[in-house]
Amino acid sequence: MYNSTMKEMKNAMSKGKIKRNTIGVLLVLTALYLSLIAYFCYAVLFYGSRWFADSYNTRVKMDEKNPRIIPGSIMDRNGVMLAETKSELVKDSTTGKEEQYYFRVYHDKATSVAHVVGFNHSKYGRMGVEAFYIYYLMGYNNSLIEKIYQKAFLPQERGNDVVLTVDFRLQDYVSQLMRKQGKKGSVVLLNPKTGEILTMVSYPTFNPNDMDKVDDDSLVNRATQGLYPPGSVFKLVTAAAALENVEDIGERKFNCAGAVEFDGTKIQCYKGEAHGELDLAQAMAVSCNTTFASLGTEIGWKNLLIMGKKFGFNEDFLFSDIRMKMSSLPITYKTRKQEMAWTAVGQGKVLVTPLHMAMIAATIANDGVMMEPKLLYSVVGRNDNIQKQLKPNVYRKVLDKENAETLKNMMAKVVLEGTGKQAQSKGVTIAGKTGTAEEGSKDQPNKNLAWFVGFAPSDDPTLAIAVLLEDVGQGETGGTQAAPLAKKVIEKAVELGY
Amino acid sequence: MPAKEYEILALTMRYWFVLLILYIFVRGLFSTVRCLSSVGAAEESTGNVPFVLVLFSLTAFVLLSLRGQVNVLTLLMGILVCSTFLFQYLLLYYLFGGIDRYLMLMVDTLCIVGFIMLQRLQPALAFRQVEWFGLGSIFLLFTILYVKLFKHWDKLNYPLMIIGLGVLILTLAVGKEMGGAKNWIQIWKYNVQPSEFVKIILVFVLSADLKTSKSRLRRLPVLVFTALVILLVVLQKDLGAAFLYFCLFVFLYYIATSDWLIAAGASFLAFLGAVISYHLFGHVRTRIAAWHNPWADVENRGYQIAQSLIAIASGGWIGLGLGLGSPHVIPASKTDFIFAAICEEMGILTGISIIGLYMLIMVRGVAIALKAQKPGDMLLAMGATVSLAIQSFTIIGGVIKMIPLTGVTMPFVSYGGSSMLVSFGLLGIIQGVAIKNNKKKQDGDVQQYHEGDEERDEQG
Repeated sequence: MYNSTMKEMKNAMSKGKIKRNTIGVLLVLTALYLSLIAYFCYAVLFYGSRWFADSYNTRVKMDEKNPRIIPGSIMDRNGVMLAETKSELVKDSTTGKEEQYYFRVYHDKATSVAHVVGFNHSKYGRMGVEAFYIYYLMGYNNSLIEKIYQKAFLPQERGNDVVLTVDFRLQDYVSQLMRKQGKKGSVVLLNPKTGEILTMVSYPTFNPNDMDKVDDDSLVNRATQGLYPPGSVFKLVTAAAALENVEDIGERKFNCAGAVEFDGTKIQCYKGEAHGELDLAQAMAVSCNTTFASLGTEIGWKNLLIMGKKFGFNEDFLFSDIRMKMSSLPITYKTRKQEMAWTAVGQGKVLVTPLHMAMIAATIANDGVMMEPKLLYSVVGRNDNIQKQLKPNVYRKVLDKENAETLKNMMAKVVLEGTGKQAQSKGVTIAGKTGTAEEGSKDQPNKNLAWFVGFAPSDDPTLAIAVLLEDVGQGETGGTQAAPLAKKVIEKAVELGY
Repeated sequence: MPAKEYEILALTMRYWFVLLILYIFVRGLFSTVRCLSSVGAAEESTGNVPFVLVLFSLTAFVLLSLRGQVNVLTLLMGILVCSTFLFQYLLLYYLFGGIDRYLMLMVDTLCIVGFIMLQRLQPALAFRQVEWFGLGSIFLLFTILYVKLFKHWDKLNYPLMIIGLGVLILTLAVGKEMGGAKNWIQIWKYNVQPSEFVKIILVFVLSADLKTSKSRLRRLPVLVFTALVILLVVLQKDLGAAFLYFCLFVFLYYIATSDWLIAAGASFLAFLGAVISYHLFGHVRTRIAAWHNPWADVENRGYQIAQSLIAIASGGWIGLGLGLGSPHVIPASKTDFIFAAICEEMGILTGISIIGLYMLIMVRGVAIALKAQKPGDMLLAMGATVSLAIQSFTIIGGVIKMIPLTGVTMPFVSYGGSSMLVSFGLLGIIQGVAIKNNKKKQDGDVQQYHEGDEERDEQG
């Protein structure tokens, strides 16, 4: 017996070693749990409001017959009612009883703001502000006391009203212009100093009061969800990267022969025109492809990517007020020279949303500081009690003031003497950049995109704009199509006092 | 009670529930820190924690009984829960003085949160769950006695292995498929999940084999057994169980042998297996896709996780209030996704406290293992601890989209007899070792005296 115990003792694993390993395992498991808690908090803080606002959240579904809470109204910045809940006595066809029905009613001209306001429908779900701000509209942000008061003393609980930063007059004006133009596209106008979105139009549009006749294409909010090749407007980013990374760029002279070759692919200027000797500002004014293509290969993928990222490319914007698709700038160390050249002139595989492009123009206008785009002006509770008020928020500093100023002057020159002449206005000095992106093939020549991004007044900008038109025909450019539209929008905005 | 009055009450009471559960967590935290820092396990008072727990469960059941028409059954259920808990807790303390009482209280807190949520979701299931709790406590008693009294448990290794393989093969042959995995077997009128019970077998088999040092070759039977059970549960499409067995093996093997080679080799094999199964099995790809972006296919593949996340976000930090949310929208809200249902109605803070409680249970389990006298006991306690810890991490991580979802239950909280019994069985192993430790401590002086005797004998 004694011997066998001794033998067992000898064969047994060393307790010290087990203890040491056990402590190691303790640390590993503790780290696992702490990361679980950390991830949980992170996910809830950063994504929680998006999860809540998802249209599959049936807790805030529009209940026609027996609503627990009546959703609040949506107004524009001047108090124009854009959406409200109404009720009506409807006779049930089967039982014959009269029942109260609740539903959302939108402005008569709701087609003008359809993509911003969206809809909240018991059958079709939710979209736009109706979806994204459902937290406020259904009163989930109310304090405990307010909730109890409403439950105890009011016959029917009511959510809060949401006031948007958009101006309905402007929104309607732009929407009419787009309809006259007849082309699919988008216009975004915002205040570069505060990030307030004054207008966000997407065309074609739909009527939220009549959801039975809506096709999928018109439901897409092109301003935030449409990804397009930027074409020449991307030259702003290339130029910004050049200003930061290339010395003596101010004095540098380029020579444009109308075309330049990279590894067998030819990049041409518009209509193959040779611009001769020119500096960066002149190249920007005439939108010289060869200059920017060679500049792009000179800067290299790394510096261009860094600048693109600063401007928000490849970034999952988690803005509190708006959900937008990620713009992409897919260049890596693997990117070849010709791909770099195409990217530098905004062709390649670069994709951007119109709202993002407006933010880029606004950044340049605002001395290189990018503001977070804002759509929510205020949340108004019962008895006009303001629960949340717009607070401008710096998203990040992209450029230093000097480079921003240089870019601003370049953009002013584009409108004064370059491709953006048609944006010239008597009332206000506009600065901008035109772009024509080739999306079509030989079979479909009418598939190009016309861009104009810019700001006004050019000395102290209060407005930044992005205009995008799809399906422009051959021979038409951002300068001939988008620039005049942008001019009209800015003139109207100035007239309204913005 | 009319709807509005109930809503006001539930809205106000949620602060109370969060407060109590946080209190229990903080008390547990302090006691665990003390238990880690002091070498000797001083007999520690649990203070008012049992009382707070009773208060928590009683108020919750009183609130639930006022929902709609006043329901006396719910009230009785609350009394039943409290008395069952107190009976179990006090009886165990009376029987075994050396039991880790905080560990017991934290586990019971988890159970009671589970009862409350089940009562709110489906009262009939809550009653069944209390039955499982009672049965689980009896099972706990058995495992404690087994670990404490049965000295030669390692001699049963081969029979245990045969039983383990037998039930898994039987499941594969005549099992029932539920929720996408064929890991259920019907015994009389109950559906049993044999893969759960194999966990306990695995803990015993591995610790018995690993407590003695052997050459790698002589460990072959146990290695083959482990590989076979993992293969069998993979064939049943029970990926959660496979992952759990694997972690159990790697952790225990490393703890006992410090053998990096086998541990790393096994991890590599598991990685390879995961990659192969990703390409081979559709259901694995579905799980990964749903984890990567549940919103891309909300209507089908991503539905479960998306609804879980929506529910958690709707609840916010303190929840919507008991009975005021819509946890029924979440699929499997009573079993795998009960964490999301709890977060929705009782708040994310309660959710974090629950994660914290699991963590404290793990830390106390490790502390008990560290104080064990024999390598075998150390490994037993560690096996049970690792099993509970990994399982709770896996399911909570899956529900909050941190890792891909694998269908394992949340120990002590999810509805289910097999899960409840096995979780209590694993707890019994830990408590058995704790009782052994404390008995040694009490006999400490006597033992020292005898050791002196032995030395003299040897000299003689």
